[in-house]
Amino acid sequence: MSNSSASYIHMVQHLIEKCLIFHMTKEECMEALSKHGNIQPVITSTVWSELEKENKEFFKLYTSSQVKVKGGAETGALIHKMISDTSKDDSDE
Amino acid sequence: MQMLVASSSSLRDTATKSDDNPETIESGMDEFSDCFSAGSLLDSIDFDELFAGLDGDPDALPDLEILGDYSISGGTGDDRGQSSDDGNDAVSGSPFGSGSGLDAGSVCSPGEVVVDKAGDMDVKKDGPEGHFGKVKKSAASAGKAGRSKARGSDGNRKVKVDWTPELHKRFVQAVEQLGEKAVPSRILEIMGTDGLTRHNIASHLQKYRSHRKHLIAREAEAASWNQRRHMYGGARGGGMGKRVAVSPWLLPTIGFPPAMSGPMHHHPTVRPLHVWGHPSGDPSQTNTMWPKHILPHQLRPPHLHPRPVWAPPHLPYGQSQGMPCYPPPPQRFMAPPVPGIPHHAMYKTDPRAAAAGPATILHPPLDSSPSNESIDAALEDVLAKPWLPLPIGLKAPAIDTVVGELQRQGVPQIPPS
Repeated sequence: MSNSSASYIHMVQHLIEKCLIFHMTKEECMEALSKHGNIQPVITSTVWSELEKENKEFFKLYTSSQVKVKGGAETGALIHKMISDTSKDDSDE
Repeated sequence: MQMLVASSSSLRDTATKSDDNPETIESGMDEFSDCFSAGSLLDSIDFDELFAGLDGDPDALPDLEILGDYSISGGTGDDRGQSSDDGNDAVSGSPFGSGSGLDAGSVCSPGEVVVDKAGDMDVKKDGPEGHFGKVKKSAASAGKAGRSKARGSDGNRKVKVDWTPELHKRFVQAVEQLGEKAVPSRILEIMGTDGLTRHNIASHLQKYRSHRKHLIAREAEAASWNQRRHMYGGARGGGMGKRVAVSPWLLPTIGFPPAMSGPMHHHPTVRPLHVWGHPSGDPSQTNTMWPKHILPHQLRPPHLHPRPVWAPPHLPYGQSQGMPCYPPPPQRFMAPPVPGIPHHAMYKTDPRAAAAGPATILHPPLDSSPSNESIDAALEDVLAKPWLPLPIGLKAPAIDTVVGELQRQGVPQIPPS
């Protein structure tokens, strides 16, 4: 019995990690797992929270990078500029 | 060989005490009795003559030429063969007489004197420097001869090779040349460096390999990130090279697995995947740069480090067998979510308005198919193959904790029925 719980939870963790790679938020993850994996959002949410507790540093940075990503016009513009600059460099090379 | 050393030590120690010598020598020589007829050998030695010229020099040894037929054991010869330098025991052409088992070829010209550096013996005198001296050197530490090349690295008898960058480079070249067959003896052959022993090579090889493993794992990570950036047209391709150059252990020929390039060949609807944030040469590309990968660049959770980035069937970016993660950027890549988009749903809705700008890594670049597909594909992959390793490998929470928490939340059974 506990084995199946363990493997289920492990699977949820795995799914969540895939979402993390897509840089999804917790909510997006809940939605995705529900939609594509039939995982109850509360389960996703709980596992996510527990993962967060176990991996505080990771999530801290994950979240902060998310903030940057979704940053706003200013951040976006800055990034846009950086990319342009980078491309220019590349073509120079 | 050992017995020769022993006897030579004895001789050395008691060089000044000629009275004692015969006994010492004798005791040492006893071991020779198996090889030579003890009686005759000893009888043939005139110890007074042996030690006559020593003048109290503690380091001087008798010229064993006197011993005539006595020959060195094969072992010594071998050593000599390995480190030809060793032959230069300043014995100016004085083999041990006709019967010497020494490889005559190994006796170098008097000019070359390793021992000098070693400071072990005073080789200015050719005479006293005899067989025993040679034997001792070769027996005790053949590697010492290497010191003629690596000057003055060590004054005593310890084997110590100075791995200069140049020497190391030759070593690495030899290793790479040999590939699988990179065993110390062959490396030694290829390097052709005098004064290096198999032992030196072996231990250096060991260090080199372990260091390489460690670095390759890290470099691979950086490489893939850089490579991807390059692919996307924005990369500082030089970054990789720069980074590689940092470590002396790494030669520029770092080859991160080509496997990476395979999957990189895209899938138009797949979202580009980020790399593990990794410091690049450009300081401006730090955290402020939108998601390098999941994390901003400096930090990776410590336990992520050991992840084998290159495990072929599995890549850490969540890429599994069926899931390409590196879309070809039709344009410049790494675009941020378009400025002005206020909310999170941007993952799903692509602000095409900004299509004029750089393609976004978070959205399928040009088409309108939702990134949902790629997510779906990823998730299905997990569901289908639960045995696959975790893409990130976060520390898992305790099952009991999770189950307990879920029960509190109203989920009594896991998995739910």
